[in-house]
Amino acid sequence: MVMMSKWMWRLTPLCFRSHKNCPAADSGIPVLAMKNMSLCFPSSIRTLPLLGRVVFALWLAAVVGCTTKAEFSQNAVYILKQERELDAEFSDQQKRDLAEILAGMFGTPDAPNVPKLGDVEIAKVLDATHLHVASGPVSSDERGRARGLYREHCAHCHGVTGDGAGPTASFLNPYPRDYRMGVFKFKSTPEGGKPTHEDLKDILTNGIPGTAMPSFKVLPNNEIEALISYVRYLSIRGEVERELVYLTADLVKGERLLKMAGTGRSEQAASLREVAAGVVQKWIDADLQATPIAPPDADRDLAASIKHGRDLFYGPIANCVKCHGDSALGDGQKSDYDDWTKELEPTNEEALEQFLGLGRFILPPRNIHPRNLRQGVFRGGRRPIDLYRRIHNGIDGTPMPGSFVLKADAPAGTKGLTKDDIWSLVDYVRSLPYESISRPPVIEQAYQRERL
Amino acid sequence: MRKALTLLVLAVSLFSSALSAAEWGDLKLTFVYDGAVPAPQPISVTKDPQFCGKFDLVDEELVVNKENKGIANIVAYMYTRGDSAPPIHPDYAAQAEAKFSLDNNSCRFEPHVVLLTTTQTLVLKNSDGVGHNTNYAGFRNPAFNDVIPPGGTLEKKLTVGGERAKVSCGIHPWMSAYVVVHDTPYGAVSDQNGELLIKNVPVGTWTFQLWHGGSGGYVADVKQNGKATTWAKGRLEVTIKPGMNDLGEIKYKPKATR
Repeated sequence: MVMMSKWMWRLTPLCFRSHKNCPAADSGIPVLAMKNMSLCFPSSIRTLPLLGRVVFALWLAAVVGCTTKAEFSQNAVYILKQERELDAEFSDQQKRDLAEILAGMFGTPDAPNVPKLGDVEIAKVLDATHLHVASGPVSSDERGRARGLYREHCAHCHGVTGDGAGPTASFLNPYPRDYRMGVFKFKSTPEGGKPTHEDLKDILTNGIPGTAMPSFKVLPNNEIEALISYVRYLSIRGEVERELVYLTADLVKGERLLKMAGTGRSEQAASLREVAAGVVQKWIDADLQATPIAPPDADRDLAASIKHGRDLFYGPIANCVKCHGDSALGDGQKSDYDDWTKELEPTNEEALEQFLGLGRFILPPRNIHPRNLRQGVFRGGRRPIDLYRRIHNGIDGTPMPGSFVLKADAPAGTKGLTKDDIWSLVDYVRSLPYESISRPPVIEQAYQRERL
Repeated sequence: MRKALTLLVLAVSLFSSALSAAEWGDLKLTFVYDGAVPAPQPISVTKDPQFCGKFDLVDEELVVNKENKGIANIVAYMYTRGDSAPPIHPDYAAQAEAKFSLDNNSCRFEPHVVLLTTTQTLVLKNSDGVGHNTNYAGFRNPAFNDVIPPGGTLEKKLTVGGERAKVSCGIHPWMSAYVVVHDTPYGAVSDQNGELLIKNVPVGTWTFQLWHGGSGGYVADVKQNGKATTWAKGRLEVTIKPGMNDLGEIKYKPKATR
């Protein structure tokens, strides 16, 4: 069994490799060739008999659903959600229209396209060369330049479509991010804003502590840049898809999002481009929106600041205690869900059954728990500035709200947190893992000897 | 240059006189529950029981008047997709930048539905003695989620119309409200008697979008004058005549509330 799971782990991502370019680290020989795709196994595959290889390949293809051509999948959850909420019924024709419009704008996983959106300077956030490098099957050219980076490093968790439902997703807790809602948790911009280029770069280079998201620090800078571009691409594509689904749900019977011929088509096409332009503009704006942060007073009395932070933690203005709990173990409430999970209506059994019935790529809902602040593991980073941002801006897509920050021109006596209050909260949160009750109980020497 | 300016002034004055000459009518709808009035469902207060337990809270997703069966919180607003903007009655000018509050009051949102236009402002308040947070699940407007401490107020601009967003409080899971943002001033929410009045609509034929947050969507299958009718996508086309346009009682049975 251990052997099996080790093999599963090693083989799963290889599904995406193209046989022409099986790297030297692999056997170089496709085990299961289909048209232009194949499974290349590591050289250690030679220890398996031929029959064993074929059985593995077939099993793998069945489990992870290898296809010869990578395709974006449709956002079935969001379509069903609109059908449920707006009494809409999506015809096959409407679903095909959605796929065609999206393919027209954004291309395919093998040949992504940067849509032309008039005045919107889309090149600021999507670079065609980067997209080319990040997309497609995993391969490299004669000069050793890599291609297919997204499928090599990301797709097994985040899925080819960026829906957070790759083959390994269901084994992970938390689940990988679904980019398609256009919502990102750990960033420097105010609530509702997109992450900046630097925010995405931070996540890629540092990973997310406490989750399965690793650091990609070893990749060369141009490859990191390519992946940033591709994540933005998948997110923009996914958010445009949601808008189009919403518009489709708004149509009365017989109407189509885009007439295939005749008058009015160009106006319709222009209004669809406007939809995409709106999404792209938010990404362009984000790079100038990072919340400015003034550093804390370096001479502050740390003990006093921690005490002040503690008072705020339990007080009604910051109100941290309500979710993070009296003991800061993150047990103030444990019944809420994040926004991605809320789409499945997890508290409505009948609805949830319908959503889960859409297919194995719909992952069973899990509650989102407030962070246990005594462990010192913070997903958005443990630097003071990271914690300041989380407290000041909240965490998008989760129940963590932004702070009630006092405006500079507020009259005296107005309630709200000042910049120094937030720094005190940061000091308090950073002190929590070092409080004596955060440490494991000391086992008495005598007892230890007894056990030996 | 001067000539062009004169022409422009002339054109504008002609246009505005055309507007003032336009006629206006009021639209009235009365929503009545079709069936036996369901009993209000009490809320189990799981957070801040000392404070929130005092209020005899009930589920407000469907509010039906015991006496006259009127359904509250049904929204109607002018639907203008792809059409030119309607003329605006001068009476609405004073309201163009009005502020509408969504108050955390007695561990519930007051009102349950806020209807505002893209030029108006949403003011979040907390009149309670406990802290709340207001989580706005926006889609066309950016979502937000802010702590509102006791006595705190916070202003929000929602600049994109055609949005119907659910609002919740992460601390008190039973709290829910809806914010509807629309493009023209022509809209209203039904009151405790199920009555909905939109004043000074320009005379002519217009489409109105009808929506009820609690029952999860468009108000489509109704009985008008005793006859079953379906307003596709909750859209009602009405020809407004000068004076009062009372469409009478509309019988409606929302789908089971969530």
